[in-house]
Amino acid sequence: MRLLLLLSAILVGLALPAIARPVSYPDGWTVMQMNDAFSNSLHIHYSPTAKYSVGYKGEYFRVREWQFHGVQINNLIHRWNKPDSQANLYLKSAAGIAYSDQGTFDNKSEAAGFTGIAADWENRRLFTSYENRGIYAGDIDKSFSQKARVGFAPYIGDYGDVHTWLMLQVDHAPSASDELTVMPLVRFFKGADLLEAGVNNNGKILFNFVHRF
Amino acid sequence: MRILFFTLLTLALFNPSAFAGHAEGHNHSDMTEADMQKTISGIESADHTIVAQINGLVCDFCARALEKVFGKRDEVTGIDVNLDTKLVTIGFKKDVDIDDATITKLITDAGYNVVEIRR
Repeated sequence: MRLLLLLSAILVGLALPAIARPVSYPDGWTVMQMNDAFSNSLHIHYSPTAKYSVGYKGEYFRVREWQFHGVQINNLIHRWNKPDSQANLYLKSAAGIAYSDQGTFDNKSEAAGFTGIAADWENRRLFTSYENRGIYAGDIDKSFSQKARVGFAPYIGDYGDVHTWLMLQVDHAPSASDELTVMPLVRFFKGADLLEAGVNNNGKILFNFVHRF
Repeated sequence: MRILFFTLLTLALFNPSAFAGHAEGHNHSDMTEADMQKTISGIESADHTIVAQINGLVCDFCARALEKVFGKRDEVTGIDVNLDTKLVTIGFKKDVDIDDATITKLITDAGYNVVEIRR
């Protein structure tokens, strides 16, 4: 099963040329393949309107060796459009099945889900965001994590150019062995594609890839 | 790995100019002919245009959203999004048009706010 998930993620990653927002424009599809210190995930969603999206979420949590497969719904609770900036508040929730192949939980399945809020503010030069998530997977796992980012664009490009963002992310995961980590990362953004790469103070790599259709 | 971490940290904190290959917020008057061709190709064949001033335009994704929304309209030949001025120019075919209320609804449904529509 784990192999299947990883293969799916790799195939999607290779098949598509690589916007981190969880809701797209009306009638838009999005593929998000994300990898960080804690998990590898694939999220494919469809946005019927600019207010919400719904889709498949698969995630493998490497430390506790369990995976999640389910349906995720992302709601844009509010957007603040200003002349030179934009801010968003989202609610992201998922429900599905957790499957573990670790120790006493070997081959164990549980109903699982997660929920959290995400907020961001950006103009063409500066960016900041905050996101949290509470995960429930019965006996397999229960956790809370949060992360915050600040970033800036060293140059301002026109529509169609490659946009570069330099960012700093702080992750807080109370149940992890490294509760607080800091990660510099770089984001490249062009048209419908976004790619992020970084490495945290413990040497753990982040690699995210998003494509919108 | 530690070297990679500190390299990225240094770039993020102290060396923005290393990536600066563009003038800040240049306007269409600064663009090359190729750039102009790329962004206004659909506008060139338009019979007439309408310009909308929009709040919330901060990135390519916003521009792409508007392109997608107006690209589905038979009346529209193309649009040009200027992220510097926050102006969206909509090109129309001959003898067809979209009224202001519909333009406002299309932009609002895409997630943005219309400040003004100029005809």
